[in-house]
Amino acid sequence: MRRIVVTGMGAVTPLASNVEATWSRLLDGRSGIRRLPDEMVGDLPSKIGGVVPSLADDPDVGFDPDTVLSPKDQRKVDRFILFGLAAAQEALAQAGWAPASERERVLTATIIASGVGGFPAITEAVRTVDRRGARRLSPFTIPSFLVNLAAGHISIRHGFKGAIGAPVTACAAGIQAIGDAARIIRTGEADVAVCGGTEACMNVVSLGGFSAARSLSTNFNETPTSASRPFDMSRDGFVMGEGAGVLVIEELKHALSRGAKPLAELVGYGTTADAYHVTSGPEDGAGARRAMEIAIYQSGISPREIGHLNAHATSTSVGDLGEIRAIQTVFGTDSSIAVSATKSATGHLLGAAGGLAAIFAISALQDQIAPPTLNLDTPDPAGTGIDFVANRARPLATDYAIVNGFGFGGVNASALFRRWSDDQDAAAVGERHA
Amino acid sequence: MRRVVVTGLGAVTPLGVGVDHVWNRLLDGASGIKLIDSFDVSDLPAKIAGLVPAGTYADGGYDPEEWVDKKDLKKMDVFIAYAMAAAKQAVEDAGWQPEDQDERDRTGVMIGSGIGGLGGISEGSKLLAERGPRRLSPFFIPANLINLASGFVSIQYGFRGPNHAVVTACATGTHAIGDAARLIMFGDADVMVAGGTESAVCRIGLAGFAAARALSTNFNETPEKASRPWDKDRDGFVMGEGAGIVVLEELEHAKARGAKIYAEVLGYGLSGDAYHMTAPSEDGSGGFRAMENAFRNAGIAKEKIDYVNAHGTSTPLGDEIELGAVKRLFGDHAYKLAMSSTKSAIGHLLGAAGAVEAIFTVKAIQTGDLPPTLNLDNPSEGCDINLVAHEAQQRKVDYALSNSFGFGGTNASVIFGPTP
Repeated sequence: MRRIVVTGMGAVTPLASNVEATWSRLLDGRSGIRRLPDEMVGDLPSKIGGVVPSLADDPDVGFDPDTVLSPKDQRKVDRFILFGLAAAQEALAQAGWAPASERERVLTATIIASGVGGFPAITEAVRTVDRRGARRLSPFTIPSFLVNLAAGHISIRHGFKGAIGAPVTACAAGIQAIGDAARIIRTGEADVAVCGGTEACMNVVSLGGFSAARSLSTNFNETPTSASRPFDMSRDGFVMGEGAGVLVIEELKHALSRGAKPLAELVGYGTTADAYHVTSGPEDGAGARRAMEIAIYQSGISPREIGHLNAHATSTSVGDLGEIRAIQTVFGTDSSIAVSATKSATGHLLGAAGGLAAIFAISALQDQIAPPTLNLDTPDPAGTGIDFVANRARPLATDYAIVNGFGFGGVNASALFRRWSDDQDAAAVGERHA
Repeated sequence: MRRVVVTGLGAVTPLGVGVDHVWNRLLDGASGIKLIDSFDVSDLPAKIAGLVPAGTYADGGYDPEEWVDKKDLKKMDVFIAYAMAAAKQAVEDAGWQPEDQDERDRTGVMIGSGIGGLGGISEGSKLLAERGPRRLSPFFIPANLINLASGFVSIQYGFRGPNHAVVTACATGTHAIGDAARLIMFGDADVMVAGGTESAVCRIGLAGFAAARALSTNFNETPEKASRPWDKDRDGFVMGEGAGIVVLEELEHAKARGAKIYAEVLGYGLSGDAYHMTAPSEDGSGGFRAMENAFRNAGIAKEKIDYVNAHGTSTPLGDEIELGAVKRLFGDHAYKLAMSSTKSAIGHLLGAAGAVEAIFTVKAIQTGDLPPTLNLDNPSEGCDINLVAHEAQQRKVDYALSNSFGFGGTNASVIFGPTP
């Protein structure tokens, strides 16, 4: 079996527009959630979101679209594509991966997920057609909103000619992109894959839609930073966020032979369906449990060896409870695993959530520190026996971290990462020379 | 490696509903392309599409209430209802009814769509603009999310294995079938319900593709002549709608329960052009590499291929580029095999195209009938291989290949072989 390591990470988030600043702000307990402009939210019951700060909002680490596309080309793509391009650029720079030969280009895959893709561009197109006529649409309208065009643009920009993919499994899509990419490397179709998710659907139509589905938090419009509170008794729905989280994953020997530094190893992946309800999971979290169990089984380790979990936990009443039950079933109730819910700080990035959660889990392994779950003031008593990392980051001592992503339609996915250490590194190099 | 076979088929297409009905009409040279009359097209340059005919299943038509509970229809966009109808046919055709939890855990669903609920999102946007965001239905989001096709099917049948939805524009259907087969090969599932669905024939869809200058506009008066792959007068693709779903199954699993086996999924290949957002690379290297990867995966000689179901969308650029890639890949054998584009009869079903065409490819193996390329009156220069012009042909087909290519430079090919 070909081993797979992570060699690069890139992120655009409501906290900052790169991995390093996002991670340090997350550890500092900062929140990226704020009040949305009145002209966007109108009379909607939910008026908050995790918005990626612009350069004007945050001169140091705000998002500058000019770093990915010229102003002219920015008009040809919806915002989710810009985020995807930016995160991929950062991840590829860290990985140091710039294929020089045709063979290397052909063996690089691009798998970028999104939950909804160019929702805002579709809305805009509807307005244009209604107000100005069907013939006024830009020729770039369709490619600006197609979900797979995030992967398409990344592959075109960097010349990657391997498989292109775009999972759209709602809020599990980011994890499934990583799982799909790993499989493509395992079969030998690619040596390297750029994978993860991107999302930017912060507009009145999607906010209105999720509000109508009664999925969003509505009780904290005046105190936005306290609205996303996974596992807390006062939680009342998720907070929509935007951004991207992208990894470069790579066959181990390929990485070592070109001198790339592995950041972590991907050792397990599992995916299942609830086959239960369109928008909510079963109370016992059975589908979520099976996804974690399959990922752990694939890695060949026991659940006891896993010291950290980045939970899906979106701050909804039913969803968090199902995950609590699943965690208790898989890991027991003796607080053996430190559980963090980082959506408390970023909001829920939907199709990008899994990619970003993977980055947080890998960073936690690298730094041996668990990020905080903000606003976890009164933990849900149902979570007895789970070691929640409430409000403050704290040290970890573990080699394994698991990440969950669950979505509408009853789809569940889990990925399991192993800490990379110099000892393993040396052993693997020995294996290469053997 | 575990082997994967096709044990069930289901289709909703512009030629009707039900695989046998559609297949017979296709072989008869019927066209499903018509003038659009369900919404205003007066200001649109393209006024035609491949539309799913209304009617009862018994008569080969589509009536959503025959497939989905009336109360559930309000909760899903049309593309999901098409998938439910095609999935029901495929699952019943396969006779697959898991009896215990383990069998349900080992059955997954992978249904893709190129665009998803474009019509539903448009309606929602309009409603919101006119009457305010609080008027949106609680089902607005799940009704239009692409992966809810897989979600609804998994809920309907209790399939609790891998649940996935791929979106790679017009390569989606092939991509879903290939990825699903791979899940079975790797042991993640024993049975997968896989395919694609699409219902983007709405004002925004037509206006958007027309703005990209992708659609045929010269044949609005004679709709059935508009989709004419490789013909000199072709001027763009014709949008179509529908769904194609197959049941894929691990070979021994299918044998053990005595399932009818249509064909084997032998090979699957993907590639990226890394060239342009909407245009294929001129040398056809992307399609070439996808086919080459499928052969590498299948481990059979190229000379074994009897039939190719082409992507062939009837665009000026794409058709000849694909044919060029086929000629380079197959060499002399390109003049011995037959290749046709069934989009000439049903239009381009976008994310469902690859799945419906996979079904046609499997039927060609099963029956030895090659579906025709309609309207191929004057082939473009160099289009000199057997493109099955106008009328169906008959020959023994053991091995067949199906191609799908999409916006964003994404390419997928799948090879089917005879029942093992």
